[in-house]
Amino acid sequence: MNANFLETVRFEIRYYLRRISTYVYFGIFFALSFLLVCAIGGAFDSVSLAIGGSGGNVHVNSPYVITMITGVLSLFGVLVTAALLGNAIFRDFEAGIHPLFFTSPISRFSYLGGRFAGALIVDLIIFTSIPLGLMAATVVPILDAERFGPFRLLAYVQPYLLVAVPIIVFTGAIFFGLAALTRQMLPNYVGGVLMLIGYMLAGNLASDIENEQLAAILDPFGLNAISLATKYWTPVEKNMQMVALDGVVLWNRLLWMAVALAIFGIVYSRFKFSHVAGERKSTKARAAEAGPPAAAYAAPRRLTLPLVSRQFDRSGHLAQFSSLTWRSFRGIVANRYFFAIVGAGLLFLIFSAGQVGKLYGTTTWPVTYAVLEVLGGTFALFMLIIITFYAGELIWRERDVRLSQVQDAMPMPTWVPFLAKLAALSMVVVILQGAILIAGVMTQAVKGYFNFEIGLYIKTLFGLQLVDYLLLCVLVMLIHVLVNNKYMAHLIVVLYFIFTAFMGQLGLEHGLYQFGSDAGRTYSDMNGYGPFLVPFFWFKAYWAGWALMLAVFTNLFWVRGEETGMNWRVRLARLRLTRPALSIAGLAMLMILGFGGFVFYNTNVLNEFRTGQDMEQASVEYERTYERFEGIPQPRITGVNLRVEIYPEERDVTASGVYRVLNKTDVPIDSVHIRIPSQVEIRDLSLSRPSRMVLDDEEHGYHIFALQEPLMPGDSMSMTFQLAYITEGFPNRVSRTSVVENGTFFNSSLMPSFGYDPNLELSDDETRRKYGLEPKPRMAEVDDLEARQNTYISQDADWIEFEATVGTSADQIAIAPGYLTREWREGDRRYFHYEMDSPILNFYSFLSADYAVRRDQWNDVAIEIFYHPGHEYNLDRMIDAVKKSLDYYTENFGPYQHRQVRILEFPRYASFAQSFPNTIPYSEAIGFIARVEGEDDIDYPFYVTAHEVAHQWWAHQVIGGNVQGSTLLSETLSQYSALMVMEEEYGPEHMKRFLKYELDRYLTGRAFERKREMPLLKVENQGYIHYSKGSLVMYALKDYIGEDNLNAALRAYLEDVKFQEPPYTNSLELYGYLKAATPDSLQSMLADLFEHITLWDNRAVSATAQPTADGRYSVTLTIQAAKVRADSIGTETEVPMNDPIDIGVFAAPEDGSDLGEPLYLQKHRITSGEQQITVIVDEQPAKAGIDPYHKLIDRHSDDNVVEVGAGGGE
Amino acid sequence: MNLTINNLSKRYANGVRALNDVSLTIPLGMFGLLGPNGAGKSTLMRTLATLQEADEGSVFLGDTNVLAEKDEVRRTLGYLPQEFGVYPKVSAEDLLDHFAVLKGITKKKERREIVRALLEQTNLYDVRKKKLGGFSGGMRQRFGIAVALLGNPKLIIVDEPTAGLDPAERVRFLNLLSELGENSIVILSTHIVEDVSELCSRMAIINRGEILLAAEPLAAIADLRGRIWKKIIDRDELPALEEAHTVISTKLLAGRTLIHVYSESRPDASFEPVDTSLEDVYFTAMAGAHAAPGVVVTEAEAVP
Repeated sequence: MNANFLETVRFEIRYYLRRISTYVYFGIFFALSFLLVCAIGGAFDSVSLAIGGSGGNVHVNSPYVITMITGVLSLFGVLVTAALLGNAIFRDFEAGIHPLFFTSPISRFSYLGGRFAGALIVDLIIFTSIPLGLMAATVVPILDAERFGPFRLLAYVQPYLLVAVPIIVFTGAIFFGLAALTRQMLPNYVGGVLMLIGYMLAGNLASDIENEQLAAILDPFGLNAISLATKYWTPVEKNMQMVALDGVVLWNRLLWMAVALAIFGIVYSRFKFSHVAGERKSTKARAAEAGPPAAAYAAPRRLTLPLVSRQFDRSGHLAQFSSLTWRSFRGIVANRYFFAIVGAGLLFLIFSAGQVGKLYGTTTWPVTYAVLEVLGGTFALFMLIIITFYAGELIWRERDVRLSQVQDAMPMPTWVPFLAKLAALSMVVVILQGAILIAGVMTQAVKGYFNFEIGLYIKTLFGLQLVDYLLLCVLVMLIHVLVNNKYMAHLIVVLYFIFTAFMGQLGLEHGLYQFGSDAGRTYSDMNGYGPFLVPFFWFKAYWAGWALMLAVFTNLFWVRGEETGMNWRVRLARLRLTRPALSIAGLAMLMILGFGGFVFYNTNVLNEFRTGQDMEQASVEYERTYERFEGIPQPRITGVNLRVEIYPEERDVTASGVYRVLNKTDVPIDSVHIRIPSQVEIRDLSLSRPSRMVLDDEEHGYHIFALQEPLMPGDSMSMTFQLAYITEGFPNRVSRTSVVENGTFFNSSLMPSFGYDPNLELSDDETRRKYGLEPKPRMAEVDDLEARQNTYISQDADWIEFEATVGTSADQIAIAPGYLTREWREGDRRYFHYEMDSPILNFYSFLSADYAVRRDQWNDVAIEIFYHPGHEYNLDRMIDAVKKSLDYYTENFGPYQHRQVRILEFPRYASFAQSFPNTIPYSEAIGFIARVEGEDDIDYPFYVTAHEVAHQWWAHQVIGGNVQGSTLLSETLSQYSALMVMEEEYGPEHMKRFLKYELDRYLTGRAFERKREMPLLKVENQGYIHYSKGSLVMYALKDYIGEDNLNAALRAYLEDVKFQEPPYTNSLELYGYLKAATPDSLQSMLADLFEHITLWDNRAVSATAQPTADGRYSVTLTIQAAKVRADSIGTETEVPMNDPIDIGVFAAPEDGSDLGEPLYLQKHRITSGEQQITVIVDEQPAKAGIDPYHKLIDRHSDDNVVEVGAGGGE
Repeated sequence: MNLTINNLSKRYANGVRALNDVSLTIPLGMFGLLGPNGAGKSTLMRTLATLQEADEGSVFLGDTNVLAEKDEVRRTLGYLPQEFGVYPKVSAEDLLDHFAVLKGITKKKERREIVRALLEQTNLYDVRKKKLGGFSGGMRQRFGIAVALLGNPKLIIVDEPTAGLDPAERVRFLNLLSELGENSIVILSTHIVEDVSELCSRMAIINRGEILLAAEPLAAIADLRGRIWKKIIDRDELPALEEAHTVISTKLLAGRTLIHVYSESRPDASFEPVDTSLEDVYFTAMAGAHAAPGVVVTEAEAVP
């Protein structure tokens, strides 16, 4: 390390320490970190922010949350690194001072290394602002202390070293190198974009567990590696553990550090410490070396110039405008870096399109909206970058080449250059949208899909999205002009984007103050842009007014000439505030007020505008006011007869109906408490017995009728009502997507119900604490007899008789549970009458759409699929699944109670399928466009269908009480049933793949548990437990006790409890049957699966094979086994193990699959610790291991199998 | 039409007083603005070129208020800044055509003619298709003047155009400029005395934001005749002589030092008379010695 080097470093550090921007950067990141902690620490009442899984049981200052915040902020910090490291060498070229350095006695190493080190040190110091800001915030007194754990210095330092420093060093090396080598700044942006692409690509890949290792390694920032390493961390681990520098994190860091080193090496060896021919010279340097051109000596001539006419009127300005626009536009696009950025972006797009709609690793058909969502959605980030970056380039275009003085003195109004640049920027956006269109069509074609909906492409890309981008262009131009510093403006734009992303969580939810926003936008094949278009138009008109205003503002502050001080710019702006400017501003104001007023009228007058906080408040009031009525005796619904009128065009529904109710209690009921959702208008509500309404609280939807004569036990009466659910204007966010133009789907929750509904209370304990409410148990105890008086679906009915007439417009079919008994027309409306012939749960739905129908038959059961024409892809699979499900379920569990199975497609505003009696609404997003092709593809339309059909048994025959564990009875058993149907159809290998996803979902789910993880037996409606863990547990149980045995137990249980009256069954009753079916030797295993949260850690250490004398192979497998039990927040305790577990030996796989034919597969009793097992197989073994099919829950499922080595000397 | 500058003052945010109560009247013809680096020349030029604001004072081009009616001024303005660059990947013809549009020459045919004429005039016609990035300093400077001349400007401002040009380029460039003075006000700022003496019919000397002298070069030279004396001395004699006389300039001559001294009469026999040049006028003004009546041009006198 020589003196020159150190001097260069010192020089560089001093240089940056003198620059104000250094301190601004520090300040910005300090403030961001500080505010983030304040926000998630509960400092602001209106803010509810959670980052990196904070909240619930995870502390705000846990190492995990700190690591996540540090990661995200470091990502944004790349901008600062680009400015700092990029300029370290580049500024010498820019200033033309590089010859002075090149000719000084300084070595290349000292120059390059010193500059790099100096700038890097400053950069590293700047980013200490992140841990410092995070730490500083923890002492803010108003934070909610319960969200914090004990302070640990290391928890801040370690993420800085592990996350921030590598990102800074790696990106720094790249930016430094690119700028030094090319002597331009532009390649830096390309480099930045490429890194971003790498990051996004990794993120994209990581969404499928098959690729997540690769993704973690490929992410240049390493954040995906950290996500993967911490993916299954439970709250306790998140609070305690630091992210270790090992595994994928280490590999990622090593790889990218090596890349950084290589880049620095290339720069070092390629960097010419000399003048490069053809380099861009600074003016001074060029002037100094100007050689005499041959032509320069010609004798002077008389200066005679042709007279020209000049035009300074409107058309003259127009000519100036178009010339400038065209030139600015060409300046951007006729540049290889532009092509590099766009090309990289498009490549990324085409790649991402390969991931369209993956579910269980299976993609969907590349329908146009899906492609547009991937392309337009993912590309949006590029678009933001491109707009931000090129806005800066355009505004600085003349100044960057020192031509601004010439151009500024040209006889044109200031609006000409401003509007020309805005126009050029807009043209770039248009071009890119065109590129997306082409990429989209190409993607579809490549994937063998040829239904190009060009109209939809144009509408989306050039209608909707373009408006957003143009608005954004204006805003970004304004920021650049006002800030008048390219890099700082870039950073501010990014900060603005971050801010807008969090605006909602900051309590700023109204679209009228989120620049460029609208009421939401979801495209559905069934319903197009449906209810979103009208509000889109008005919101954008309002924002166009603002954009116009901003444009006037930008024009006023446009930098022209040499005065860049703010006070002079204000004075100049005042001068530019001429009559035309004022009148445009006036027009803008008119638009803002007019359109804004209209929007406000719609969102706040016609509709109720409620922020998240308002809604919380309403819940709190509801609980505080009416909780005292919880559990009071109320009549129960025994029959429902409805007439529902759906008006799709108007998006209105009216319903009139009669409930037959019965006092099933043993006390007289003197008042009836009726709940009707507040958004439903009550036109009539009366009881068949003399009564009067004594409470009419529409806001909370609570109404009380006092009966003149009490309803005696066993007495019944009826309730008649007329309700309307009317869509008026549009709300701030279009949320009422249940009633739409084509694809209406709503359920019984809009209908009246009886009694206080505790499900409307706030459930999150943190939020409850904010309002001074006690924490609330999620569900009643599993054996709570009082709670078991109700099912977990309805609290005011048991089994009901159901009948409904549904009307809709003439071109649509309307459906409700039951059998169609009559269909007729009245005027331009079409009516359907449905009657159910057996009692059902008080849980029904109504659908209406312009359907096509596919019909089939299974024995005497009619199968009907109501689908959107064009979505025929998987109808056969669904029908097949229905038939096979009916086969399996009737054979193994019991008869089907209905004569019909109907599947009904509904728009993708929600993406689930849900089973109602003989009626299965099924989202277009989860199966109708799935593309199941490969051998290995998981046929999820088949699986989802089988699951929903299974609910006709497990929910609609057996229904648990409103207690813990009840979703085990419906969801887990449906999941098991579907698995069995799927296994019969696709074989066990397929199951293994499916269960791998289930394992991942379970482990990820428990990592984000906010309250407490429950054992399966006491699941509290937790999806990751009753679906994913349920699948794993039931499949393992089937493996241990046998399918027939298990099914017999289920059948006996079902037989015993189906269609029962209160008290309803619970999971303990089912468990009794399971226990009875399980041999003693497996009872502890059963307990592990159901009663505890058990995790195994089984690992194959090594395997060797030795040929035996009789031509067979003796395989010796060394394994390591352990078993832990976890508590509700993930604290693990090791327990001794003595479990029968699969030991398998496999032949070499033939195709690409993981394991070949099993040569040996037997359960062995495995105890904790290391042990050896020797088995004899007939053929050459390739792999061997413990629990090779991942039947048990194991966080490291990838280490269960090892290659079999040649026989050692044992 | 005159350009009249009245009491123009400008102070930068860092406290530097770039212009201090500058008043000048500039008639048709070549006007040289002479001064050392940092004297305020460029500030003045940029202010005249509508690119900078003044704290106080006014500027009128005929009846047009230059500081307020910028658009009006820009229509008759040709401006060549002290330092300027070009888009390196654009050809001379192309960029000139673009500026022609910006100057309001919207008719394509006329534009083609003027672009061609200017390229010929500035001897760039042969390289019109070449990328500007490959131009030498002189070529670029000539290109700049071509831009400035677009649209027959009445006020032409060229800021230090000869800095960095080689001698031949400089001659060529000045020749071009000399043609312009016939119908327009041409203001040329420079720190090279020869530029002014060779070209300008009128001039002003500026230093530290103040006008030290405004005059016709020939008259100023004539006025100084008989007041400048020279002597060749040794270096170490200089301090003493500076004490005794008004030394306006020193330069090395064959290893010794040649000094010029301002004095109404011959200081002593060791001094010899000098055939005064504009350089002497400049140095005299810079030294602050010049106070002869009738040389400093008042406003009234400046009107031709």
